Amino acid sequence: MIVLRLLSRTKLYWGLAIICLIGALASPHTSSGRNIFLSFNNLTDVLRQVSITGLVATGMTLVILLGGIDLSVGSVMGFSTIICAMLLTQPGWTPASIVAVPAAAIAAGLGVGFLARFVFHGLERGRDVDAGRRNETVLGPWRGVRIPALLGLVCGALAAVATASQVSTKFGVLAVLLVTPCVALALGAINGTLIVAGRLQPFIATLAMMVSALGLGRLTAGQDHAVIAVYTGTNATQAFEVLRSMVWGILPMPSVFFLAAILIFGAVLRFTTFGRYIYAIGGNPEAAKLSGIKVAQVQLAAYMISGLLAGVAGVLFVAQYRQGKPDAGSGLELDAIAAVVIGGTSLMGGRGGLAGTFVGVLIFGLLSDILQLQNIDSNVQLLMKGLIIVGTVLVQEQNLGQLLTRWRGQAPLPPPTRTGSVEAYRPSQVSMTSKTREDIHEAS
Amino acid sequence: MGMTTHGVSIQDEMASSVRSGRRSSRDGGQTSDSHAVVLKAEGVSKTFAGVTALRDVDFDLRSGEVHALMGENGAGKSTLMKILAGVHVDYDGEIRIEGAPVRFSGVQDAERAGVAIIHQELNLVPELTAAENIFLGREPLILGTLVDHRRIVKAASALLKRLGIEIDAQRRIAELRIGEQQLVEIAKALSLDARILIMDEPTSALSTAECETLFKVVRQLAQAGVAIIYTSHRLDEVVALADRVTVLRDGERVLTAPIEGLSQSAIISAMVGREVTLTRRDSVASSSAPVLSVRNLTLDKVSSRGWRRVLLGVSFDVRPGEILGIGGLLGSGRTEILESIFGVARGWRDGEIAIDGEPVSINSAADACRLRVALVTEDRKALGLHIASTIRDNVALPSVGAASRFGVRGFAREAELATDVIDKLAVRCYGIDQIVATLSGGNQQKVSIGKWLATGPRVLLLDEPTRGIDVGAKQEIYQLIFGLAAEGLAIVVVTSEMPELLLLSDRVLVMSEGRQAGILSGAEATQEAIMRLAAPGMSERVAP
Repeated sequence: MIVLRLLSRTKLYWGLAIICLIGALASPHTSSGRNIFLSFNNLTDVLRQVSITGLVATGMTLVILLGGIDLSVGSVMGFSTIICAMLLTQPGWTPASIVAVPAAAIAAGLGVGFLARFVFHGLERGRDVDAGRRNETVLGPWRGVRIPALLGLVCGALAAVATASQVSTKFGVLAVLLVTPCVALALGAINGTLIVAGRLQPFIATLAMMVSALGLGRLTAGQDHAVIAVYTGTNATQAFEVLRSMVWGILPMPSVFFLAAILIFGAVLRFTTFGRYIYAIGGNPEAAKLSGIKVAQVQLAAYMISGLLAGVAGVLFVAQYRQGKPDAGSGLELDAIAAVVIGGTSLMGGRGGLAGTFVGVLIFGLLSDILQLQNIDSNVQLLMKGLIIVGTVLVQEQNLGQLLTRWRGQAPLPPPTRTGSVEAYRPSQVSMTSKTREDIHEAS
Repeated sequence: MGMTTHGVSIQDEMASSVRSGRRSSRDGGQTSDSHAVVLKAEGVSKTFAGVTALRDVDFDLRSGEVHALMGENGAGKSTLMKILAGVHVDYDGEIRIEGAPVRFSGVQDAERAGVAIIHQELNLVPELTAAENIFLGREPLILGTLVDHRRIVKAASALLKRLGIEIDAQRRIAELRIGEQQLVEIAKALSLDARILIMDEPTSALSTAECETLFKVVRQLAQAGVAIIYTSHRLDEVVALADRVTVLRDGERVLTAPIEGLSQSAIISAMVGREVTLTRRDSVASSSAPVLSVRNLTLDKVSSRGWRRVLLGVSFDVRPGEILGIGGLLGSGRTEILESIFGVARGWRDGEIAIDGEPVSINSAADACRLRVALVTEDRKALGLHIASTIRDNVALPSVGAASRFGVRGFAREAELATDVIDKLAVRCYGIDQIVATLSGGNQQKVSIGKWLATGPRVLLLDEPTRGIDVGAKQEIYQLIFGLAAEGLAIVVVTSEMPELLLLSDRVLVMSEGRQAGILSGAEATQEAIMRLAAPGMSERVAP
């Protein structure tokens, strides 16, 4: 019994373990007899390959936990690759820099402003919390806003000057890494605003963004430049190579971003009020609203984070594949959603988490690695992906007992006995235990 | 509940037309013998994974009687009804219908045998018309393919008319009030040729007037020979409606008796297993300044037909330690008053609200929280609780922000709040990490009140605080409310149950069609006085 419970509690990781096992057993060996699948290079390669999808899936997890969906991440990432590649390779006022400079300025201004207000607010209230009481005084919505607003304005202006000064030359690696996500953040903010203020269905709002961001990317790149190539050292700064290097010879740079995102947002979900609100809104939006949660703000923030991470993924894509193209992320949103779902996060919202997403992303990465090592056709890989999605979700969503009950339910019931004897029909032990929860709930 | 007098308006010709209509062929005049036992259950037991829900229960049902099935939540009422209706198929014991042993293989099987159940949650498709719902799944067809709409409407109208229900069969269910939907559900059951009708809490969402209509239909059906099993948490309606009553406690039958000669308190003590007394507290004459003042509260809602005024000129004060009850019929604007104060009413709101004499503007639940106003909503599953999550998370939800610092949650503080709530409200549970869905209704309600107490409110707004919970738990909730008032909270309670309103309130504000019909002091507040004020048409209609 305890073993069973442990099995079902850790079932998230069993799929991963099984995939690893299959990989190790089926792997070809080098001439010296070493297992290629388990080799250090192969495993870091897998980590490198999943990082882009993983970053996007991290943001997607927040949005799905909230009960929403973000279909636009692929296109937003594609758009970000264009912005990033153009900023790296083309000096002067190109469409990319025209978009990027104001986006960076606004993002910096608002970001610093809100951060400052948040800190002031926390300082102001800290004493009351320590005393274990709620705030006696009523904080007006505009009280304590002037200083943060001023700080925000200053920082926004500074950011504008700093980015504009880069425009005359080509952007450096740090500059693209900061500026490109700001543009994606803005697109995410548009998504969020449409959903929160326009009361659009998340599916529809982000579908519209998915289509228009692709168009926007193509317009920005210009007709002749469907693909913008980035050659570090020739048409772009050599320093950009750092984004595809190994960190201390252990981790590929993209995976550092991915792991950092998982850890940061895992902590956000677990330890912050924002994380708690995401689960609460996903679980029951009406109850959350009536509990005094500012649902709109939380939703807006989640879509912005999703956009931001898609932007970071865009920069990493450029570094990885040495090019920016509008359709770089086509299909990425579906990969991300699949990874989230495999990780056990409910599409209805309110249930799941980033640990699952991490596992889901790795399962996909390892699977395609195994199939590549076996030289199996990429179309077979697609087929396998589909099967994996169905298989894992079947196991995730219903426990084994429920499946057994269903089978039992299809078996023909004994005919109604005329005598109605007490011993006429006794259900098996399995069905009794598995039906426990719903039935007790019904009975109460 | 305004109560019905026994035996009103039995419409004989309608009753007989129901009998002669579609049923005569089956029971061949046997219905004249109204004491024939149509259903007999002997030694019925049922366990859910080792937990005994029913133990050796005997039950019999005579044709033409209304048989009330009473018991606290978890006493086994639902289980027994579900066994009789074929929902649960694995049980021990024997069930006979008209002497013949039966063992249903499912709900359809039970329906074929003439047993129909009407669940508390109605199973109607909101977007279809009443007629379409009645014939859902067995639509008459033209040429075996197309749905014959004309025949559906004709047959449904005829059925509704025979039952004396004044509902247009072509209206969509979504447009009907809950009470009317309930009647459609009954018509649907009868169109299935039901001889035994099981009704699970049919009045839990109905207004007094709708209850009257329902009772009329139920009595007619009984006259026509249909045997009815009826459950309700409202004792007064059971006493008024039922012929016999069976009381279950902890899965066992403790009483079956004719309703005559049984007092309400006798039924209650049979259900609870001990004497229960409803004591009104001594009214606290508070002279301190009001915590909550409402002046000229007005609310307009947008509907498909334009603006509709749902509240007009509501004004009242609540002092610390005072309980103001709000009475009135369903739809008279009671809930809207609370929602308007709490800042979550949909629509355009006008009027002044002052807390501690200072005018405030509350435009969201977040504003209300800051001002320490709390609203415990009517529908705790949909609006109050996150049912799949733990007690800890539910209790802490409105306080997560207050317990945090720089956005980082104070887990210790949250757990402390949840533990306090469990202790103070005597929530029966394994611990703060129990999932709320596994608690009984009464304990869920305690959690739902507790999550607001954890925010340290000054004003507590309660909407139907005891809906759907059993007698014992009701007592505890009453004691809790009295205790909170004694601590100096200003409390506003909306309730549909007259005894509860009279018991709890220091003063009663009566609403009638969106207008404030009057405020009665504790001494003036009697059932008659409240009903007189609440009756529609007594005050002028609210101008559009």
